[in-house]
Amino acid sequence: MKNVVLITGASQGLGRALALAFAKEGYALGLCARNEEPLRAVVKQVKEIGADVVTTTADVTKPADVDRFVSIVEDRFGKIDVLINNASTFGPGPTLLADYPNDAFQGVLEANIMNPFLVTKRALPGMLARQTGSIINVTSEVGKYGVAEWGAYSVSKFGVEGLTAIWADELEGTGVTINLVDPGEMDTTMHDIAIPDCDYELSDPEDVVDVFLYLAMSEGNGERYEAQVFDRKGASVE
Amino acid sequence: MNAVSPSFTIPDSLNAKQPAELTYSRRDHVRLMTIDECATVMHGSFHDIVQQLHAGDVLVLNNSRTIPPVLRGTQGQQTIEVRLSRKVGAQTWEALIVGDMFQSNETIRFTDGVEAAVTGHGAERPLITLDFSIEGSALLDFIYQHGEPVRYEYIDDSFPLETYQTVYGSVPGSVEMASAGRAFTWQLLEKLKSKGVHIAFVQLHAGLSYYENDKWPSPTNHPEHFRVPRETASLLNEARKSGTRVIAVGTTVVRALESAVTEDGCVETREGVTRLYVDDQHTITSVDGLLTGFHEPEASHLHMLTAFLPYAKLMSAYHQALEQGYLWHEFGDLNLIFRQQP
Repeated sequence: MKNVVLITGASQGLGRALALAFAKEGYALGLCARNEEPLRAVVKQVKEIGADVVTTTADVTKPADVDRFVSIVEDRFGKIDVLINNASTFGPGPTLLADYPNDAFQGVLEANIMNPFLVTKRALPGMLARQTGSIINVTSEVGKYGVAEWGAYSVSKFGVEGLTAIWADELEGTGVTINLVDPGEMDTTMHDIAIPDCDYELSDPEDVVDVFLYLAMSEGNGERYEAQVFDRKGASVE
Repeated sequence: MNAVSPSFTIPDSLNAKQPAELTYSRRDHVRLMTIDECATVMHGSFHDIVQQLHAGDVLVLNNSRTIPPVLRGTQGQQTIEVRLSRKVGAQTWEALIVGDMFQSNETIRFTDGVEAAVTGHGAERPLITLDFSIEGSALLDFIYQHGEPVRYEYIDDSFPLETYQTVYGSVPGSVEMASAGRAFTWQLLEKLKSKGVHIAFVQLHAGLSYYENDKWPSPTNHPEHFRVPRETASLLNEARKSGTRVIAVGTTVVRALESAVTEDGCVETREGVTRLYVDDQHTITSVDGLLTGFHEPEASHLHMLTAFLPYAKLMSAYHQALEQGYLWHEFGDLNLIFRQQP
């Protein structure tokens, strides 16, 4: 039976690169994104690789959408081996906290913290019943260091790091692991929003997928990886 | 046969109208009535289960997850309520049509251009089989997007689907919650595990428990899909050898396990559709105890309880439960019954 990976925010950037990488490794895929059109393009590509894929549009900040997405994947493949909580939103571009609109601040926190909480909570029962599973949360350098003008996105990633640390402790000994990956700065739409006038070279999302493939099979728990300095032996674990 | 003699009535005040977490902030804050092997009745809280179970016992949970099976379609100008009961094939479901204004030779139209045609009778009347115009994951996606949970008349609020889930529910397929395990939290399951109690899982996708108009499923004609995984069968057979107990959480678990028992009394890995009817004529071999809710006098689940203890003793305990004010139905209190030794 093929291993099954579930990826949120799979229609572009890192999510799309992960879908293609796991498809090449022979995984069956459960993919979701908010917008149907770009997601359909990714589905076409992974099918060309030969992957079996289930997909739906979903807003993973909504519990009902999360239940629907995870349920149709579990119904189709019978299990989930790997969950990658990739979906996130940046909010407004570079903004000082003192200038940050209240609604936008709240919206970014809800989107970026609620979605890994909800999807993990929904996917966990099946993993715990089988006593195996790997959950990977995508974080950022600004989830560890406070940097001016990264605003609610940075705050939310601090939250994701806390969420992961707590869950890692709670999952110790269950056979299910949860880890963090900081993919580093990549050439994505989100990076364009964060740093509109970036004048230095950026990685491609395709360059950072190895650490995710490694963690999918790893027994490590509660660890934080920086994708751009990772080699497949895991030598750069902090 | 459709009903047992109604030997008691449930006052409206004992219908649990909302889940415990809304009343007490925690889903595990329900009461527990225990009937031991000698039919002695004890009253306490659900957390007493940690004392009731011993190291080596196996607690078996049904991790079927509830889907939202109530769909609304139309035939001409007429709104039709469809309650799905059991998945028969990729595009085919057994279902109940609520109400009389329904033409069996006319297509039911749903939103998004989805249609369903009646293709025959279900396992028993009034169930029918419906063939949908979409199938597989697309059909399940549609059901999730447009369906609602079954809400019976004693519930006043339109609680969302997540209210009708156990914390460990994983495999989608039940049209009604396997409610006996609803009060468990992961924290309580962890407490049991740290005491040495083994946790195991089966799946049985529960069908509709009521067909409206005072009609209940005939338990001899109520097929349900079930699966007993290899790990669970092994744990149960080891428990049998070592003399520790197996506690089923819910009548669905009893039905699944008893459907997987071999002639020599072992539980084996099995998946399929069960039509097994467990009542006082059935000798249970796979299970020593049952955690269950409080059942209506007409429900077939009550028959199953008589496989654990004689009807008169069960009714005596139930009358105590009524006097003590235990709450009935899916959000209600719980009853732990240990099988009487013959």
